[in-house]
Amino acid sequence: MMSLFEICQYLQNTEFGTGLRESIWMFPIVEGTHVLGLSLSVGTLLWMDLRLTGKFMKNQPISRISGSVLPWTLVGFTIMTITGVLLFWCQAVKAYNSIFFKIKIALLLLAAVNAIVYHTTIYRKMDEWDKASPPPLQARFAGWFSIVVWIGVIVAGRNMAYNF
Amino acid sequence: MSLLFPFFKWCDNSWIGAAIRGSKYAFPVIEAIHLLGLTVLLGIMVVISLRLFGFILRHESTRELATDLRPFTWWSITTMLVTGYLLFASEALKCYDSPSFRFKMACLILALIFQVTIYHRATTSVDVDKKPGFARLTAILALVLWFGVGLGGRAIGFL
Repeated sequence: MMSLFEICQYLQNTEFGTGLRESIWMFPIVEGTHVLGLSLSVGTLLWMDLRLTGKFMKNQPISRISGSVLPWTLVGFTIMTITGVLLFWCQAVKAYNSIFFKIKIALLLLAAVNAIVYHTTIYRKMDEWDKASPPPLQARFAGWFSIVVWIGVIVAGRNMAYNF
Repeated sequence: MSLLFPFFKWCDNSWIGAAIRGSKYAFPVIEAIHLLGLTVLLGIMVVISLRLFGFILRHESTRELATDLRPFTWWSITTMLVTGYLLFASEALKCYDSPSFRFKMACLILALIFQVTIYHRATTSVDVDKKPGFARLTAILALVLWFGVGLGGRAIGFL
């Protein structure tokens, strides 16, 4: 049975991991796509979250904004997941040793829990509060929570480049 | 370009540049804020461009959407310029020799000019949604110029 550390070591030492890490163009392209992909993932989700907080586009029904924006957010998250997995693959040991990577993963899990709770509870009763301004407390909480957690994910991700 | 060298040197020698260079935490903190600004600003450009193409939020006009987004647009641009200058001042001489930095500044100047001219016209006019050609051209320019700035910025770390 391999330990988590050994799995990380194995991953980054695979031919693919080494090749990607040492490539002149592929690594910057994957890394650059991961950074600029923020615009499509968090950069689109933000407007949905701000609408939930009741601070933005108050005259638009929430269903309209989420219907418009969330499909693009999902495209963004797909790009982020693919490039993120590739980046982890080729520097898994560095990630394993980074406190910021652990924080980032913990925050990503929190964001997922928040999204699941929102979509399985209050989102199902959208008809009752779609046009409400301000939205009910639980919706406002989900919006603020998402904004704060995603700021944390971005800050933690960026700081993986440093060793404090 | 060499005319600008004294300016780069002055920035590199400035107390603020030296202070950020000398601090362990200043650069990462400013860099993180710069990245949050990027998320907001490029996010706005994605949303506005999708609207100009007619892909999303068709129930409201581009003008209404842009009006809602305007405060965020100018706050994010201001944040980017301030944090960007601070990051630059801490490594101005490195930037002087960087082709990525030159590319970024060229894109930035064009993007800012575009922002107060074509983009401003498209997002304040009442009938931009009835001129798909103009709307799409604006959307493409917005994406190319602002993502060019982002790409150049990321590339400073590589070449």
